[in-house]
Amino acid sequence: MKIFNDAATQVQCESITQWKKEGKPVVGYTCSYAPAEIFYAADILPVRLRGIETEGMEVADTYFGPFICSFPKCILQLAGKGKFSFLDGAIITPGCDGMRRLDECWRKAGEDFDGIVPDYFYYFDVPHKSENHGMAWYIEEVKELIKSLENHFNVSITNEKLKTAIKVFNKGRRILKEIEDLRGKDDVVVSGTDVFAATVAGTVIPRDEYTKELKKWATALKKRKTSLSKEKKRVMLVGSVSDEIDLFQLIENTDKAIIVGENLCFGIRYQGNEISEDGDPLESLAAHYLGASVCPRMFGKYKERLKILKDRIDHTKAEGVIMQNIRFCDLHGAENALFERDLEAIGIPCLRVEREYGPHIDAGRMKLRINAFLERIDAKSDQKSTEPLSVSA
Amino acid sequence: MRPEIKEYNYDWLMGHAVAAAAKVPAGMQKETELTLRYIPNFRGVAESFINAGPPGIQFMGLLAKYYENILAARDQGKMIVGTTFCNTPAILYAMDIVPATFEVLTAIGCLIWKRGMFDYMDYCCEVGMPETSCSSQRGFLGAYLAGLCEKIDFVICDTPGVCDTNANAFAFASAYLDKPFFQLNYPSSIGDDRSQTYHIDDYKAMIRFIEKQCGKKLDYDRLAEILKEIDKQDALTADMEDMLMLVPTPIPPIFNVIIYASRFCFAGHKIYTEILETMVETSKQRVAAGVPGSASGEEKLRAFMCYIDHYTVDMNFYDYLEERGVAHTGSILTRNFRDDNKYVQDLEGSSYGIDTSTPDAMLDSIAQMNARYPMVRSIRGPYDKHGMWLEESLALAKMYNADCILYNGTPGCRNTWGMIKPFARDMEKYGYPTHIMNDDAFDDRVESWDATKERLDEFFHVRGLL
Repeated sequence: MKIFNDAATQVQCESITQWKKEGKPVVGYTCSYAPAEIFYAADILPVRLRGIETEGMEVADTYFGPFICSFPKCILQLAGKGKFSFLDGAIITPGCDGMRRLDECWRKAGEDFDGIVPDYFYYFDVPHKSENHGMAWYIEEVKELIKSLENHFNVSITNEKLKTAIKVFNKGRRILKEIEDLRGKDDVVVSGTDVFAATVAGTVIPRDEYTKELKKWATALKKRKTSLSKEKKRVMLVGSVSDEIDLFQLIENTDKAIIVGENLCFGIRYQGNEISEDGDPLESLAAHYLGASVCPRMFGKYKERLKILKDRIDHTKAEGVIMQNIRFCDLHGAENALFERDLEAIGIPCLRVEREYGPHIDAGRMKLRINAFLERIDAKSDQKSTEPLSVSA
Repeated sequence: MRPEIKEYNYDWLMGHAVAAAAKVPAGMQKETELTLRYIPNFRGVAESFINAGPPGIQFMGLLAKYYENILAARDQGKMIVGTTFCNTPAILYAMDIVPATFEVLTAIGCLIWKRGMFDYMDYCCEVGMPETSCSSQRGFLGAYLAGLCEKIDFVICDTPGVCDTNANAFAFASAYLDKPFFQLNYPSSIGDDRSQTYHIDDYKAMIRFIEKQCGKKLDYDRLAEILKEIDKQDALTADMEDMLMLVPTPIPPIFNVIIYASRFCFAGHKIYTEILETMVETSKQRVAAGVPGSASGEEKLRAFMCYIDHYTVDMNFYDYLEERGVAHTGSILTRNFRDDNKYVQDLEGSSYGIDTSTPDAMLDSIAQMNARYPMVRSIRGPYDKHGMWLEESLALAKMYNADCILYNGTPGCRNTWGMIKPFARDMEKYGYPTHIMNDDAFDDRVESWDATKERLDEFFHVRGLL
């Protein structure tokens, strides 16, 4: 677990340092729409860019306006401070308006701060729809990205290598699914914090090493007997992008709750589904990364996302859902409201909370609201247990 | 929302206020002056349009007609679609569907209603939309979500990939009220073969969606008529654009909003053509007489609005420009980017043409036109890439002899606020003093108009412009 924790809580973890020592390239990417498999196929380490370890905003505020989510701002801040100096490349994706503007803000910051823009800086244009022409556009984009990586890094990314990469990544996905199943049991033997750390680590650690470590950890978990869920409320955490282990800790350290599932950009929702190993690998990647997307940037698919969330709630036996959105994240902010309306209507308590990404300066306020929410779930359970049993006709 | 606000049907309220206002200038001058005394809350906006002469008076009639269409749709058996300003209504009119354009309706409320659209904006937040989302939709949308408007049958937007905040408002409306939804989506490039093909495929998918909702096929003869009318409108707008280049320009600031608001409401309709004809005629007369468009009779400065104008109570912003002798050389909303306009000559791939020879040619034309509507055109990709915001703004500022650049938007505009600082810095490097207005174009609570005015004055003074 230590390797996962280190990877999840450090911008440049040991695995990245080791990889660089071997003289191999590292490419950062900003969004879950970038298929990590193509980097694996090129022997490039894909690293999902994150904003942890941010201690100020003076660089980011110079380029971004004031009404922008703190996640892309934290990434830019770290870039400006040279924390991404290990990157040989970066790929920006239009995950949302704020994230796509990271492209020009980072490039422009590079005019003022020498060496902060990697030599390879690429805009990966992901459509907002997965119908025929949207899918065709995405596949074309992947082809262009492959061509560009091949040219810049002098590598060859063949269909065979992509198929191998898909198989390797699927191994990890299957293990994550097994761990996910453990979280759905009555007695949960693993904390949400640990599972999330392991998941986030998967976006940083070289895949072969990650799969090996994950396998070991999953085997150990299956032998565990001690339940961590006794006397605790089972909750899910959903909403805006988060890779913050301390957010999970904040909830679980109340000692009243265990996170049994999440629907976050960094969480199992991304790693959980397997990619088809048959047929054209590009089509398989497109079907997974674009077609199976559950991000609210895919407008007009609210009902599908609600169903996925309900299924997850059923699977994990969650008693309540904590919905967070980073300030200025309109997509999750609005969708959380719809989720709240529809889940509360079927008796699932929800907490909607707005926050900032980065240093948890408002941990006290968050803790207060989370505690109040857990008390509310408690009260609901008490009410249920005192209600007379209904007798069917 | 306060109960008293809910006592009025918003569409009915605004529709009748606008209809009554449109009749004010129909009487003798004395009657008009007397009437204005009886409408103190609406006087500011009504007077501004009346003072703008025949085009302003016709524009009031156009707004009245727009509301009349919405209010009469049900009785006439027509469907109403909730849509966005940067989606041409042409295809909707060709299918006899009435558009309710959220941003236009919010702006009308902001301009006309003394207390602004605050109650409605806040209602959106009451039902869950973030307060940080764009005010341009939240105004009308609040009234609509509160059930104070005519029912909308389905929702169409074309902003995913352009402005996700905008798209999100429409997606929210659709999900909240369980209405069918279609999104047109835009890649980050413009003018290349790949994105041109994508626009056409996407547009065809939208037509299939609309046909399904309406249960009838698109009438291509009707579409041809509308496109031919748009062809005329584009030519007239080009005339206006040419005259806007003159120094001094014969075009007063208020004509800008009339040009684009009318286009958003009635592209392809004769009522808009007539307004353009009157504006062209009025402006030509001024050119012949050597009279600037500004009421002050003097053009002291030429400002280019690189984004949108300011729409809160009355016509404050336009009146302010008039008072200071500042010519408004257009905004992102003003220009249509038709292929024979002077300003598109150096902007390869940014323009569109109209071909009505076959149904496919018409669909291609209208898809390409839609892909060049404001915002959809130039803020879909990185601002400093080919065909995008910086290139367009520089070309236009140069061609229109702008002395300075003004940015105005809303705090909800994640897209432009995400790049405005580097954009402004680049514009300064190219020699254009650039001012970032910190207000909300639709919500005076963010910054009062008085404070906005003072900051503008300060900018003009400090930079030695006025």
